[in-house]
Amino acid sequence: MVKFYTSNHTYDSPLPTVSLAYFLRYPNPYSKHVISTDTISRSFSADDQTLTTVRLHLKRSKLPQPILKLLPRSMTGASATGESKSYILETSTVDMRNGTMATESRNLEWVGVLSVIERQVYRGVRPGQFSDPPSSVSDFTIKEPTATYFESGGSTEVQTTVTLRSPFGEQRWRARADRNKSKSATAAEAEEEAPKQSFFKSWSTQSLQRSIELIGLKRAQTSQPNAKEGMKVVLERLRSGGLVAVLEGMRRDSKGAWGKRMVAAGGEEYEE
Amino acid sequence: MSASLAPECNEKKERYDTCFLKWYSEKFLRGIASTDDCEPLFKEYKSCLGKALKEQGIDTMLEEARADSRESDAEHMKPS
Repeated sequence: MVKFYTSNHTYDSPLPTVSLAYFLRYPNPYSKHVISTDTISRSFSADDQTLTTVRLHLKRSKLPQPILKLLPRSMTGASATGESKSYILETSTVDMRNGTMATESRNLEWVGVLSVIERQVYRGVRPGQFSDPPSSVSDFTIKEPTATYFESGGSTEVQTTVTLRSPFGEQRWRARADRNKSKSATAAEAEEEAPKQSFFKSWSTQSLQRSIELIGLKRAQTSQPNAKEGMKVVLERLRSGGLVAVLEGMRRDSKGAWGKRMVAAGGEEYEE
Repeated sequence: MSASLAPECNEKKERYDTCFLKWYSEKFLRGIASTDDCEPLFKEYKSCLGKALKEQGIDTMLEEARADSRESDAEHMKPS
């Protein structure tokens, strides 16, 4: 019913730099299919020194042929060739005291077909020894990169977990589960298996779910390395020329996004 | 800077993003932030974006997704 993909990676930069790169990671040469990024909400806690950000990304995507064959177009909203747009909701919390950043991204559409949730935990390897952030606005106003900040030591470990679930055809089970909510926890748990089993009698639905989840898993396996490469490009730009270099790179990459090669440029992803 | 999904909000978004990056790198990352200095600019950007989200019907999709994700997490993320 649920499939997972996990991976670990270490970025050669301290957490502050990595968190900055995370906010600035779209567009990049590996994510030219990202059309827009908006901040929906942002809350800062002075007491905890944490920052929670909710962003909405709009991505150009292409549904894989197998899914197009399996599902009616009315359900996927895609064109005949599978081209579509998808919204990704991203929540992140940066915790400066603990030297961590936790993120979660989920697709907002096709959730009835395939729900993809990516969770990441970033941890500064030496959380007590953050390097100095850029000393002034000069980074992007006076065009004088403070490269030293971005070169300073430290690294960041990140653990990524992608959860894939095709809830296709689960409505009936859900309705039963809702009715069970009023009962005691034990009773609800005991009855939970029953509706699941009766639902599973419908073998074809189950195999459809499995196929969709497998397709999603394959995609996660191919898109995750791209996400990593994208972050590396942004980190390298930060290192070589500070925020100026990142913003200039973004301008170039966003022009590319509207070029003719747009569909080929990795547009096949649910999550970057 | 990345674009807004509502082109009419691009200018406000850019002003806010620029403010945010400055605040984030100079204050937050140093652990010396006491307030969110860019909140006034965010409010302007948000009111512009809010209209666009409503017009395109994205606001209801957002609400549903957030409610739904809480529910599905509770139902499916527990160890089986």
